[in-house]
Amino acid sequence: MTRTSAFIALIASTLVATPLASASDLTVNVEGIAEAKGSIMMGLFDEATYNGDGAVTGANLKVEGDTVTAVFEGLEPGEYAVRLYHDVNDDGEMNTNPFGMPTEPFAFSNDAKGRFGPAKWEAAKFVVEADGTTHTITMN
Amino acid sequence: MDLSRRHFIEASLGTSMVGALGACSLNPHGAAGLAGSSGMPNWHIGYQNAPTHGFDPAPMKLAFGKPPADLKGSLYRNGPAQFQYGEQFASHWFDGDGLVHRIAIEDGQAVHQARFVATRKREEELAAEKFLAPGFGTLGDESYSVQSSDDVNAANTSVLMVNGELLALWEAGSAFAMNAETLDTKGPKTWRDDLKGMPFLAHPKVEPDGRVWNLAVGGPRVGIYRISKSGLLEDFGMVDIGRAAYIHDWTMTERHLIILVQPWINENLRPPVVAGFEWQPQHGLQMLIVDKDDFSNQRWAQAPARMFFHTGSAWEESDGTIKFDVVLYKNPVLGVGGGAAEIRGEWTGYDAGEDGVLTQVVIPTRGDAKLVETDIVGEFPQVDPRYRGKTRRLTALTSGSTSARPGTTGLATHDWSTGRSQNFAFGDNRIVEEFLFVPKAGGTSDTDSWLVGSVLNLKAGVTEVCVFDAANVNNGPVCIWQADYSWPLGFHGTWA
Repeated sequence: MTRTSAFIALIASTLVATPLASASDLTVNVEGIAEAKGSIMMGLFDEATYNGDGAVTGANLKVEGDTVTAVFEGLEPGEYAVRLYHDVNDDGEMNTNPFGMPTEPFAFSNDAKGRFGPAKWEAAKFVVEADGTTHTITMN
Repeated sequence: MDLSRRHFIEASLGTSMVGALGACSLNPHGAAGLAGSSGMPNWHIGYQNAPTHGFDPAPMKLAFGKPPADLKGSLYRNGPAQFQYGEQFASHWFDGDGLVHRIAIEDGQAVHQARFVATRKREEELAAEKFLAPGFGTLGDESYSVQSSDDVNAANTSVLMVNGELLALWEAGSAFAMNAETLDTKGPKTWRDDLKGMPFLAHPKVEPDGRVWNLAVGGPRVGIYRISKSGLLEDFGMVDIGRAAYIHDWTMTERHLIILVQPWINENLRPPVVAGFEWQPQHGLQMLIVDKDDFSNQRWAQAPARMFFHTGSAWEESDGTIKFDVVLYKNPVLGVGGGAAEIRGEWTGYDAGEDGVLTQVVIPTRGDAKLVETDIVGEFPQVDPRYRGKTRRLTALTSGSTSARPGTTGLATHDWSTGRSQNFAFGDNRIVEEFLFVPKAGGTSDTDSWLVGSVLNLKAGVTEVCVFDAANVNNGPVCIWQADYSWPLGFHGTWA
């Protein structure tokens, strides 16, 4: 139960940090959104923050179709990972069933999946290049 | 037991057995039918893979007796049916993919069909041709992602029909909705958005008027479902049972739910789940009695330490005393070994210490519960659906065991009003599965019922469906239909 709670806290937390002075841009496309309502709550992490409480930056994206796009500007080039969930009912929380399992869709970069917990950093990380990167995540 | 009757049935089936063996070579399903043909012992056909696509509808032939004219409906059953990919054997009987059967009976004819439940586990393992998902007795492959309980759902334990919708049941994940005619899988059942992925035990309790009660078990916290006869969730609540006890089944009266907290505890529900169980007899067998109208109105009852898988049903006497029947074991059995040896064709032998005894638990309004043992060793207790939660006479269950092979040998009934039992022993050549009560037309008691169930005929290498008169089990089957092939041993079923 502790691991589950930590997992949800990690996914749900989208702490916005101060943007770093750098030129790298990251575009994250999210595809295959099942319901055209609510918001995609996205957190962008680096290795140091991935298993902690806060993200490097984040975005809350209104869902009006089956895709959304987030653009993060001024990132330090390097390795990042995305965690997101679809806040279908727009209550600002990742809803869970009484046993703490998520009842709203969630995903990780690289479409990585976890095994009794969130996807591991090694599976979810990708590189943001100095001249910019586009990354696509497909919900399922 | 009536030996002459049994021998008569054997002799009668002897002629059709020749036909059955002949049919095996032409068996379009490709199932293991010819006993012993693989170098395995003949009982191993109960633990062999079903064909990948299941079984298309095929008439069974009447091999014995006269089918009751009023018997009309379908026996739905579920059980694990994938035990091997190439040289890789399943680690535990409970982890095989669910195969849902329908034996449709009408006008004296019986037609069998079956389909695997299309779970994620089933689809991905079939594509990879190997076992991947972790489970009750399986560690699983590290490459197999698990993000919800339904990622490891085997949907292999029982079936429930609610308002015309067939559900394939497991115990640690969602029920899977199926088409009741074609047995095609629709998908996981969500009773309410906030309950998505909640477990739904394989032993729901259906009141005589059709209302369904069931539990969701997750360690020491237990959810209670109340579902209308039209299949709508009416209520859901949580109770705390104090310990992460293994709960496969439970029971209820007209007014109370009775959650049996056995001292088989698992604080670490990590795969393989079975490795995390601890027998803690110091706690005894505790029972949480919950008011159906107010889940917060609870009381506890205490009995000596016992392990169990299955209850029959409960009722309440006028003074508030609760009585229910259950098959009790002195120590944890079955789940521990889990048929891993049997899947490989190995039989480690019969141990009387592992017998389960049909027992009545009597819970007075005050003080400890009392265990009243019958003389029946058996499993899969069943009662008449018209009397669930109510005073009744009969429990039917599979009975007996043999040193020759795994599995049961007979069918028994116990009459709680007289204390008398009846038994029909099929002998070593047939493994007997769960039998269900089917009320006779116009009957006024649970003795006015047919008992319908399946039997694996090891000599002929085929599966049979038998009908007994619940009032006269001693007399042996009323009729037997025989398939041209066998299918793997299963767990539980429903009649609809």
